[in-house]
Amino acid sequence: MVDIVINIAFVLIFFSIVFGIIRLVIGPETVDRVVAIDLLTIIAIAVIGLLAHLANRYIYLDVALVYGLLSFLGVLAVARFLEKGI
Amino acid sequence: MIVLLTLLLCGGILISGVLAVQLDSLVSAVISAGLASLFAAVVYVVLAAPDVAMTEASIGSGLSTMIFLYAIRKTRDED
Repeated sequence: MVDIVINIAFVLIFFSIVFGIIRLVIGPETVDRVVAIDLLTIIAIAVIGLLAHLANRYIYLDVALVYGLLSFLGVLAVARFLEKGI
Repeated sequence: MIVLLTLLLCGGILISGVLAVQLDSLVSAVISAGLASLFAAVVYVVLAAPDVAMTEASIGSGLSTMIFLYAIRKTRDED
């Protein structure tokens, strides 16, 4: 049962990485690319959580924590730049 | 499964590196460079190096993006 769920999660992560990269490549505006990198950050956090479960090493979840905090700050910095705040 | 995922992530690093060189908009190029280091951090986790991944995520994806944006804003104000 757990293996089925993990395989479904892998397939969903594959497709979401592919679609996120497609949006990053063809996105005409900068805002499209910001949204694409935000999506890919969330996917990367999901990948790290999945790897932590597969490798049975829960120290990897700290990496996901740092990742979530800093990606939020990065998107915030880009948003403030686009609104001429920085 | 992990091998396929790692190949996809390495392809994403290549694509975002090419985009960071080719794009016209400077902000889009900075975002693409941030994506390269973001995927590199996940590949470091696959290679069982979580401390390197944490450093890469904090410096490469967080700090350098902000410093690049700050530099772009400063140089455009002087024009």
